[in-house]
Amino acid sequence: MMQIRAEDLKMNIGGTEILKGVSIGAGDGGFIGVIGPNGSGKSTLLKCIYRVLNPTKGEVSLNGKPLHTYSFKESAREMAVVAQHNYYNFEFSVRDVVLMGRSPHKRAMERDNAEDFKIVDEALEKVGMLPFKDRSFSTLSGGEQQRVILARALAQKTNCLILDEPTNHLDIKYQLQLMDIVKELNLTVISAVHDLNIATMYCDKIFVVKDGNIVAFGSPADVLTKEFIKEIYEVDAELLTDKNGLLHILYSPGRYA
Amino acid sequence: MKKKASYITICIVLLAALGVSLLAAVTIGSSSLTIEQVYEIILYKLFGIGDGTALGAGPVHDVVWYIRMPRLILALLVGMGLSVCGVIMQAIVKNPLADPYVLGISSGASLGATLSIMLGVGVALGANAVGGMAFLGAFGISVAVVGLANVGGRANSVKLLLAGMALSAVCSAFSNFIVYLVNDKDKIQTVTYWMMGSLAGAKWENMAVIAPVILLGTLFFWTQHRTLNLMLLGDESAVTLGTDLHRWRQLYLLVSSAMVGFIVYSSGMIGFVGLIIPHVVRMISGTDHKKLIPLSALVGSIFLIWADVLCRVVIHGAELPIGILTSIIGAPCFIYLMVRRRYGFGGNE
Repeated sequence: MMQIRAEDLKMNIGGTEILKGVSIGAGDGGFIGVIGPNGSGKSTLLKCIYRVLNPTKGEVSLNGKPLHTYSFKESAREMAVVAQHNYYNFEFSVRDVVLMGRSPHKRAMERDNAEDFKIVDEALEKVGMLPFKDRSFSTLSGGEQQRVILARALAQKTNCLILDEPTNHLDIKYQLQLMDIVKELNLTVISAVHDLNIATMYCDKIFVVKDGNIVAFGSPADVLTKEFIKEIYEVDAELLTDKNGLLHILYSPGRYA
Repeated sequence: MKKKASYITICIVLLAALGVSLLAAVTIGSSSLTIEQVYEIILYKLFGIGDGTALGAGPVHDVVWYIRMPRLILALLVGMGLSVCGVIMQAIVKNPLADPYVLGISSGASLGATLSIMLGVGVALGANAVGGMAFLGAFGISVAVVGLANVGGRANSVKLLLAGMALSAVCSAFSNFIVYLVNDKDKIQTVTYWMMGSLAGAKWENMAVIAPVILLGTLFFWTQHRTLNLMLLGDESAVTLGTDLHRWRQLYLLVSSAMVGFIVYSSGMIGFVGLIIPHVVRMISGTDHKKLIPLSALVGSIFLIWADVLCRVVIHGAELPIGILTSIIGAPCFIYLMVRRRYGFGGNE
């Protein structure tokens, strides 16, 4: 089973130390959340893991092997990424977009074969977008586009999925829908999460990043206490457990403090 | 499945249109030959049909075989090359406003041509020294653009564009400086004429070099459709999909500048083809480069064959430089596309 590990990552960007020695790990089908306030470095951390950034110091390893010994194609066969929602202005069909998920499995001049098209259809089926196959990607809503991007990640057939705040700008319906789909896949997931309530609903374990350091790790229910939220996010909150046993975080505006 | 069938239909229609265009265009020209005369000569030359003594020599033979035919083939190749390179440049800089000349290639070519015409640089290159120098200028500046864009960190689309603009300004300044310094009216006119582009210089000898470069270049880019698609998603998405665009972008830039260099070598500067044909084709086929490249190649060829025919007949007894014609046709078409559709790589209506 997939193991992914980041050891003592340090990252300097323009003289500012964004990550100050961060270590996290995930594997065996766990759903790991990374939370933290804006500018805490959680997105930088994930970008180091999915190779868009090179850490100044420290190392990321996949299954015990350093990431830099993998070619980009090899690592794209091990982990897929759904990043923040981007607006793309071009006329690719939904199928073309998902087909791009097959590119790490293809040699430069290899043709797409029946197997690829089958995988594409299966991925679209999983995210409930198969009926949209021939639509132009740019005509879809934001929630639909993110599901297609998720299907593209699924078409990569990886054991690990990295989510870099994929539900940003999405309505709550689509946030839950997307996370539900991901949760049911039983892959190893590392996800940056903006919304603490989403974190409590889906994550098995969470890492909390603040000022470039990991300040807490554990199950959401253990980590997210009233005092801790106040310390990290500087807001007052109340915690409530609903009839399903789910933890909810209720924020209080400053004027009631 | 329906979509796929229609793509194949479009290909067949375009191939047929290209064939018809070739057959029709060869019969049109400034010297009045009958259609019969023209085809007799072509059939004789290609398949040895007919009487060799009557058809294998003479003025009619020379006009058809040494003037019209090479020119037709050159139009086909140049149209194909410019359209395909337009598609590639638009992907490299991730901007639909790009054309084959965008990264300073035009200014590099002009500088080369100006040096040759004004100062006689490159006489060692032989009969087509101007074209040869233009090729060197175009290719040289592309290498310089790639080099400059890599200073202080990896090159990306924006750095390539900025490097292209900067070097282009330097080359234009040098060209103007030389023109100003030499100040020879005849030579200035030659430079101006060269900048307007013409297919009149087509010769069979040159075709042996240009044809393989354009055809192999087009085929090469066709095989690269996956990476080209990823270029439109940007560097970050491409890395997560297993492709580091950095090296590919530079390779594509050098291959297409070699193609454009040979086009400039044979026919000067022909504007707007490489900008507008990819846009027209995207309206038919969408952005997928697997379809975009072959269709652009076909549409570009057909377009330039007919543009060249128009150039030959529009002014009686004289020839309009083809660069002027393509701009006259291209610019309004472009404005129409811009007004009719939301501007971009296709995208929302």
